[in-house]
Amino acid sequence: MGFWDKLQHIDRRWIYLLVAIAVFVPMVVVMQFPVEITQEARQLFEAIDELPDSSVVMLTFDYYPSAMAETQPMSIAALRHMFSKDMKVVTLSNIPLGGPSIAERVTREIALEYNKEYGIDFVNLGYKANYVAVMHGLASSIEAIFPSDYSGTPLRDLPLMDKVKNYRDIEFIFVVADNATVDYWISIVNAQYGKPVGSGVTAVVAPKMYSFVDAGQMTGLLGGMKGAAEYERMIGINGSAIRGMDAQSLVHLLVIFFVIVGNVGFFMSRGKDGK
Amino acid sequence: MKNNNPHISVKTIILALSLCLCFSIFSFAQSPDSVNIHPPILTLVGDSTLDIDEGRTLVVAVSAIDLDGTVPVLTAEHLMDSVIFVDSLNGQGSLVFSPGFEQEGDYTVRIIASDGVLADTVTVAIAVNDITVFRTYRLSVLVFMLIFSGAVLLYTRWARQGKKLFVRRIPGIDAVEEAVGRATEMGKPVLFIPGISDIDDIETIAGLAILGRVARITAQYETPLYVPVRYPMILAAGQEVVEQAYLEVGRHDTYDRDTVRYVAGEQFAFTATVNGMMMRDKPAANIYMGAFFAESLLLAETGNAAGSIQIAGTARPEQLPFFIAACDYTLMGEELYAASSYLSHEPLLLGGLKGQDFVKVIIVAVIILGVILMSFDAGEWLKNLFVVP
Amino acid sequence: MVVSFFFNPDRTFIGRAQDVVLQWVTIVSGFTLVLGVFSIVRVNGRAVTRRSEDWPFKLATVVSVFAMAIPAMLPVSANTTFGRVFYSIFPQSWSSMFGTGTGSIYDWLFNYLDSPMMETMFAMLAFYIASAAYRAFRARSADATLLLLTAIIVMLWRVPMGEAFLRLFGESIPDYLNMFIMNGFNVAVQRGIIIGAALGAASMSLRVMLGIERTYMGKG
Repeated sequence: MGFWDKLQHIDRRWIYLLVAIAVFVPMVVVMQFPVEITQEARQLFEAIDELPDSSVVMLTFDYYPSAMAETQPMSIAALRHMFSKDMKVVTLSNIPLGGPSIAERVTREIALEYNKEYGIDFVNLGYKANYVAVMHGLASSIEAIFPSDYSGTPLRDLPLMDKVKNYRDIEFIFVVADNATVDYWISIVNAQYGKPVGSGVTAVVAPKMYSFVDAGQMTGLLGGMKGAAEYERMIGINGSAIRGMDAQSLVHLLVIFFVIVGNVGFFMSRGKDGK
Repeated sequence: MKNNNPHISVKTIILALSLCLCFSIFSFAQSPDSVNIHPPILTLVGDSTLDIDEGRTLVVAVSAIDLDGTVPVLTAEHLMDSVIFVDSLNGQGSLVFSPGFEQEGDYTVRIIASDGVLADTVTVAIAVNDITVFRTYRLSVLVFMLIFSGAVLLYTRWARQGKKLFVRRIPGIDAVEEAVGRATEMGKPVLFIPGISDIDDIETIAGLAILGRVARITAQYETPLYVPVRYPMILAAGQEVVEQAYLEVGRHDTYDRDTVRYVAGEQFAFTATVNGMMMRDKPAANIYMGAFFAESLLLAETGNAAGSIQIAGTARPEQLPFFIAACDYTLMGEELYAASSYLSHEPLLLGGLKGQDFVKVIIVAVIILGVILMSFDAGEWLKNLFVVP
Repeated sequence: MVVSFFFNPDRTFIGRAQDVVLQWVTIVSGFTLVLGVFSIVRVNGRAVTRRSEDWPFKLATVVSVFAMAIPAMLPVSANTTFGRVFYSIFPQSWSSMFGTGTGSIYDWLFNYLDSPMMETMFAMLAFYIASAAYRAFRARSADATLLLLTAIIVMLWRVPMGEAFLRLFGESIPDYLNMFIMNGFNVAVQRGIIIGAALGAASMSLRVMLGIERTYMGKG
């Protein structure tokens, strides 16, 4: 087997090793290229920024722990932005495995930094099964769907929920998701109840969401860790997404290198065989 | 003669008292002005222009403060039927409006905060939307549904009457039988995954329909079949489908109930288990038909490493690139739904496919028409037909 | 549910039927979880009792199911009847270990075992995509060449290092890529696939409702 044939059939573990090195090196050698802002990310940022201070917004934690590397920086950046504008934040999750506890942990951590008080400045509603029914139900009464919050406190005992009864009292819905629940937020909440919806999704789901942004059904979009880095840059913090861009950059360049080398090998071995 | 009387005369006392009384009255008359120099400030909590559907309840809250320290009195004017206004006597008030089904229209309510001398007002405009029994604003959906259903049923009827319907070949579907044949020759099993979504997802139904077809082929060739599932309801449905397939080809004696097995409820636990099955059992053919998410590439790459021929089909656009990169054949979007009809070779099911294609032609024509009209700023009416609240 | 879509839930019962049906689905789905537990215990339990290949791992599977489920189902307070009975036997100080709240056994197992394992599996995608890209992205035909060129351009555009490289050729190149590739070709293709898939799903649903397609039930 010639060199080019061997290269084409290289043991995949060498590829895995190179990828691992590409991920590890930026932890030691920090490069930090500037993160440029895309139009869709800016649209989402401005939609939140232009809301009056003290507006009520809903932030959803519709992602599994597996996607936390991409989506949690988005949630954190969004919370920082909202709390810095003294917005009241209502969080919920449509993911039973881990969503509500991630929401609880993240919102409380960030709220401490901004001296926000639970029940007055933010509330975590938790999780309820059947997200289609939940999205429809929140249009008439939040309390009917979530009689108590994630900790079991009745909603009527939370001052914030005195003035937030349904979608009418919410100015904007920021969906952070790694799955198809975004489609339902758009087709149910935006299409049928007219609430503006913006989203942060994993990089795999992001291409599909462009059609909704283009149609005006979604107000802004963050795609993957790059999207999270863009939002962090817009709010002026050096968060985990910006720090993770170095590793992502190197791995992308490595994959491009593999594709080029693979094609060179392909053409060289084809040329040798006279095909 | 001098009056040396030291006592104050009665007249003097009366005069003094009168002066004191006048002064007091004057002072008292001055005090409201000196206490009420600021008018109350009335604030509406929320928008001043609202709308509500008949049969719903709207609550409008107001809040008033007075810099003079008094508690303003809140009242409302121009109240219509089904409205009550409540002054909580602490500067807070609320207007509760529950319009009935005959109260469609626009209303204006004026709320006043007064300290007895000065006042502030806000005006709230409320539009009550008519709610009918039948949601006429969704008529366009009904029309489209009727056209779609009519087309599918018409072609199905033609197929039943024996009319020949052309359906193009889809390489991925043709490869299913070849893949099972390959597995039989190699003496290796076939791995079939009907997606990782629950039974309420139509992709899973499509996957189970294809499973039935595949199970028939494996039953005929006596090829082992593994069907790991993620949800209990898929387990029950899958077992039913496979058992029926074995029954129909007369091989019920070779049917193993554990062909379809519940593996794990969590996405990556399921993936890890299936990857383990692939690396240990080295199936000759992997067939992925249904809804897949992040695990699609993990499954397909592991199957590739195990040396299996792989056929995938999903309607999730975000997963298609991974299957295309890692699998030998990929069914995209509607090809997944067509696969069951295609594999069965039943005219009835093929008729349904043709009906769906007819509707697609209509949609393409409407899109082209819409693009032309919108380019000349004359397409709003067409666009509004497809806006469904 | 199709019919209820067109009727007003405030005026007619049929309009409310959708919510009622959804509630029933939720209730029935809950019972099917029990079916899943039976299946997993039966299949793995049989392998353990017969000492089949890899039986220790199957034993770990069964033990894990109960290790997470049982503490989560135990009462967190003596406010319920079961709670009163339970805490008449066990100390009240144990209550923080049960349920699904912060600090419970379930929470600990989720945060320190389940969550890291899920993240690890997801992280493996990075390695797999590299090997899949190396193997599959070959310029075998015009379509394949177009695919790999677009993939390279988008991979460059989506990272700061690549964007900086592209800007060497023109300041507005990344914006053009966003406009023409993501908001142009990508949106057109996504819409085409979404519309096609939606029509396919609608047709399949119609066939299922009318009983034309019955294979998924195990009939013909």
